[in-house]
Amino acid sequence: MSENLLEIKNIDVTFKTRHGILKAIDNLSLSVNKGEILGLVGESGAGKSMTGAAILGLIDPPGRLSSGQIWYKGQRIDQAPETIRGHEISMIFQDPLVSLNPLRRIGDQLVETILTHMPITKYEAIERARKGLEEVGIDPERINAYPHTFSGGMRQRVVIALALAPEPALIIADEPTTALDVSVQAQILDLLKRLCRERGTSIILVTHDMGVIAETTDRVGVLYAGRLAEIGDTRDILTNPKHPYTKGLVASTPRIDASSFDKTLYQISGSMPKLDAMPCGCAFHPRCEFVLDKCRSDIPSIIANRAACWLLDKEESLL
Amino acid sequence: MLIIILRRLGQSILVLFLVALISFLIFRFVGNPVDNLMGQEATLAQRAALEEALGLNDALYKQYFDFVWRAIHFDFGNSYRGALPVAELIASRLPATLELALTSALFAMVFGVITGIYTAIKRGGFIANLILSTSLIGVSLPTFLIGVLLIWLFAVELRWLPSFGRGEVVTLGWWTTGFLTVSGLKSLILPSITLGLYQLTLIMRLTRSEMLEVLRQDYVRFAKALGLSNRQVHFNHALPNTLVPVITIAGLQLGSIVAFAIITESVFQWPGVGLLFINAVYFVDIPVMSAYLLLVGVLFVFINLLVDLLYLAIDPRLRDSQLNGEG
Amino acid sequence: MGKGDIMNRFLDSDFFHDFLRAPVALISFCVVLILVLSAVFAQFIAPTNPFDPASLELMNGFTPPLEANMFTGEVFLLGTDDQGRDLFSAILYGLRISLFVGLMAVTLAMVLGVMLGLIAGYVGGWLDNLIMRLADIQMTFPSILIAMLIFGVARGLLPPELRYEMAITVLIISIGLSEWVPFARTVRGSTMVEKEKEYIAAARLIGLNRWQIMIRHILPNVLGPVLVIATITFALAIIAEATLSFLGVGAPRTEPSLGTLIRVGQDYLFSGEWWILLFPALTLLALALAVNLLGDWLRDTLNPRLK
Repeated sequence: MSENLLEIKNIDVTFKTRHGILKAIDNLSLSVNKGEILGLVGESGAGKSMTGAAILGLIDPPGRLSSGQIWYKGQRIDQAPETIRGHEISMIFQDPLVSLNPLRRIGDQLVETILTHMPITKYEAIERARKGLEEVGIDPERINAYPHTFSGGMRQRVVIALALAPEPALIIADEPTTALDVSVQAQILDLLKRLCRERGTSIILVTHDMGVIAETTDRVGVLYAGRLAEIGDTRDILTNPKHPYTKGLVASTPRIDASSFDKTLYQISGSMPKLDAMPCGCAFHPRCEFVLDKCRSDIPSIIANRAACWLLDKEESLL
Repeated sequence: MLIIILRRLGQSILVLFLVALISFLIFRFVGNPVDNLMGQEATLAQRAALEEALGLNDALYKQYFDFVWRAIHFDFGNSYRGALPVAELIASRLPATLELALTSALFAMVFGVITGIYTAIKRGGFIANLILSTSLIGVSLPTFLIGVLLIWLFAVELRWLPSFGRGEVVTLGWWTTGFLTVSGLKSLILPSITLGLYQLTLIMRLTRSEMLEVLRQDYVRFAKALGLSNRQVHFNHALPNTLVPVITIAGLQLGSIVAFAIITESVFQWPGVGLLFINAVYFVDIPVMSAYLLLVGVLFVFINLLVDLLYLAIDPRLRDSQLNGEG
Repeated sequence: MGKGDIMNRFLDSDFFHDFLRAPVALISFCVVLILVLSAVFAQFIAPTNPFDPASLELMNGFTPPLEANMFTGEVFLLGTDDQGRDLFSAILYGLRISLFVGLMAVTLAMVLGVMLGLIAGYVGGWLDNLIMRLADIQMTFPSILIAMLIFGVARGLLPPELRYEMAITVLIISIGLSEWVPFARTVRGSTMVEKEKEYIAAARLIGLNRWQIMIRHILPNVLGPVLVIATITFALAIIAEATLSFLGVGAPRTEPSLGTLIRVGQDYLFSGEWWILLFPALTLLALALAVNLLGDWLRDTLNPRLK
């Protein structure tokens, strides 16, 4: 078993508002292994981006990491996230159009990042920057160009080059392809996969697209209303989902094989609850067709290392 | 790029002619130049002769062009009060206003940007909130009230600073300056603060809101995520992007300093063109009024043009988009 | 839907709750209310009529506040000015002028601006172009300068005898004419949006003419943001009036507004009659600050927050 690179233990991310304290992330525990690609999937507002922000200490006030711990390579990092940003853990944002400073050339931004983390000369940094651009498929001669002269897909490549420049061990990719054309999406994902396999970099891939999860990730975690619903091997979860929400997600993914042409698209009824109107017990129970009495009152934790569902508990006890 | 500059230049010249037109119309039709120059007792024949001599019977457009032509040669006629050439009057008082305007603008810019950045970075802090609350007062109060209260505090009660005039001035050729004497500099303090306070609060609030906006941008978060230090993030990424709109708007505000100078000069009896203008309004001295209007118009058009061009120079995106016809 | 309903809805609204919870807004509102009421009922509150030259006694001049005058023995709450005017009464009546001019100027600016905005937005074409160009040109100059200019021109056009009588009217016109642009621009924008909507097409089909459509149908729907602009413009108008009066080109000496009083006060600062300056100055300070804060708060709350 590969050692755990990153371990998130029981974190809470809370927001203080006029209506009281809201929990954007509730008692979340996750781990990421060396060299693996972990997917984080869920609807908008489920807490996926917040998890990434929590790891790097980038949560904007009035939100804060109010409890729990985050461990990286055996050290606690939640108290001092600045120490690991860039050269240990890096992040890619969703919209490449706004990820780059419009007033600075991409070469400058690359060199600046490299020099921040490596004690080398400017000349060497420029060389590295050129090589970095080449690796992501951009002509190194464009090193002095401004961001607005690139298309969306190319810009995202620059962003990837920037994220990889300080040679981190873990990259958090927050919906890296959502803002791109479908044809470009595949390219970017392939690029990401290839570069990380080559270097042994782990990735946390945040997305709402089940297709991306299926194509790219080794393991996947499903988030619902700020809580972890299910986690496990991607193949396993897609073919044999245990949590009713995951079942619904998998079932509602449109398929293009002939057998499903005349079937209506499945939909999970209802919608994800708002943070200030969370139901008691399991967050999903009002929409769940398998709901038990226990679900209405007790919040389930992850059972059998797989899903946060009292059904599993029943199964276990029946065995 | 040249096309863009030429286009802007053309627009400016058009507006200039319009301003000159209004100035001319005021000069010609408001008040009666003949009455003012001749008095009540003149006979009809004398009036007619003067009208002819002044060219008042020529075609209107001819009079307009004459007016503009003379204006370009700095001939604005004579003031109704005292019959001095308006051009001389204005020229002698211009240095006073310009020095005041410059000092105020510098004061407002420097402190405005500094406090703006501080209150943005230290958002929610005690000092930051204190500065913000005090700034509200700066924006709400009329300029003259600030001036008067400053005089009361510093000149009457504390007796630290003079309450009117420029102090001793040194003549350098055509220019008179108050920068080179102690009393000159002391006299400059209260008026500059009065004139600059409104601009300062404006620039501070603008810088702050721009900076806050910029700090929320993804490229700033990205820079942080990449491990750049706070200082690098603030000064290399946030600040340049903040300053671009700040400079443009602050530049436009520079023009209004000229307008508010009228009030400040009035409060402090500062012998500048502003005081000249307000006296002209009071005594209905038309030539001075219309000349001042023309000068101020030229100034504003010039400033607007300069700021537009500056913006083009700083923001690389604008250069290309204008070329592609999106501008 | 009766009056009681509307009242209940208002008392229940977010707006009212925000208002009650913002101490700044509450205090500002109270200050404005007190000042407005004092001005409206000035005749009943003020001990003397400061505008009536017959009631003035020169001997009363320069009396400090709450002290007996050494010649006449009269006591004045806030002292007297150089002409024997009771300062308290003068401030009340001066407030009245300030508020009156402010209100009238805003109304003028609003009516003019809304009309031009409607026309520009609805009719479009060269008329729209013309109005907007004018607006652009006017906006490159500070409104106080425009007001001074209009004032100067108006004075020049009037024969000397009328200049004193018409001072207030000219004041209102010059301030009003300098502030129409924000109204026009906003209304024009909303009009351009509204005129594409179906109920306007329907109105056209019925055969209503332009004016009927603009005034009866479009106008009610674009008035929303006008209120906020009006509040801000009101604050600006009050400051403009005070400034022009202070400069000597506003309310005259015999019917002084707060600005005029301050001008007089400044002359006597060094000779020790501090009250002539201070009390009108403080009143103006309170008024300007309160109206501005209220306007600021109003603008912030009425703006749909996207955050």
